Amino acid sequence: MGLKRVHEMAIARNIVNIAVAAAEKEGAKRITKVNVVAGELRGIIPAQLIFSFGLMSENTIASGAYLDLEIMAVMGKCKKCGETFVVRDYRYACSRCQSEDIQTLSGTELRVKDIEVE
Amino acid sequence: MKINVMTDILEANDRIAAVNSDVFNKNRNLVLNLMSSPGAGKTTLLEKTGEALKGKLRPGVIAGDIETSRDAERLQKYKLPVVQLTTGSACHLDANMIASALPHIDLKEIDILIIENVGNLVCPAEFKLGEDYKIMMLSVTEGDEKPLKYPLMFRESSLLLINKIDLLKYTNFNLKEAKTNARRVNPDLDIIDISCTTGEGISDWMAWLNQHYQKKFGAKTRA
Repeated sequence: MGLKRVHEMAIARNIVNIAVAAAEKEGAKRITKVNVVAGELRGIIPAQLIFSFGLMSENTIASGAYLDLEIMAVMGKCKKCGETFVVRDYRYACSRCQSEDIQTLSGTELRVKDIEVE
Repeated sequence: MKINVMTDILEANDRIAAVNSDVFNKNRNLVLNLMSSPGAGKTTLLEKTGEALKGKLRPGVIAGDIETSRDAERLQKYKLPVVQLTTGSACHLDANMIASALPHIDLKEIDILIIENVGNLVCPAEFKLGEDYKIMMLSVTEGDEKPLKYPLMFRESSLLLINKIDLLKYTNFNLKEAKTNARRVNPDLDIIDISCTTGEGISDWMAWLNQHYQKKFGAKTRA
């Protein structure tokens, strides 16, 4: 497997495309910051994503922008007792009643939240 | 100035995957995205599946291979319709690659289309291809802690095939532990033990395929 082509690279390319499109729509000249939200389950390696973002943003208005990555914990909601809890160590069971009938609330998101532009 | 964006990063991929899915549904294809580490036995499973389905459901394969067409050559011996995608150094297939393969395969002649993803436990889980189900293959020559190391892939899969169980006695792979770990990540996961060498479990795999084909399309009506 080519070390340069990890999933962070494909994700970084999409981040740049999304950020540039949003900035151009508002007539911005330069992107200074991109805020990204990634669920813990996405298995994103922050350093790898930031490195990839640097490469993919070269020669675009996002070049030199700061990439802020917010990692979201895996949250579950029990369908039996309604408890909301953080899923730790991939234990998909209610922390109060131990039921395994739970709904996952977060942990797989992957989106560009907002950008800062000049 | 701050601009609110709130755009899903894989939206472009997911949109193409939805189009692929429409094409598959129109052609009455049950589509499976088969994922594993390199060497878990995906291509051998496809060979066995082609044999076992003979005269029943008609299989087809889209195979993703990094540099060579070796997998496709192996499968052509079994007269399976195969499209080979050479992915270069890419570590996963994406929806666009699948879309580009579709003109090269006669979907009307296929009941079960298996997409053999690139051998990798991280990247393929991120990219929807337009499949009905993701299937994960783990072999007993790997570790039984794999589900906890690569949770997204196990979480997103509907079926786990534990392959090479004929080799179980030569390894320190704990089958029970592997299943406990996998179900911890995904309590709804179906699990089948198989050996593509001895044929053990292949009939259970066939039953799973039949059941899920019927769930999607009802009993098979075309020959």
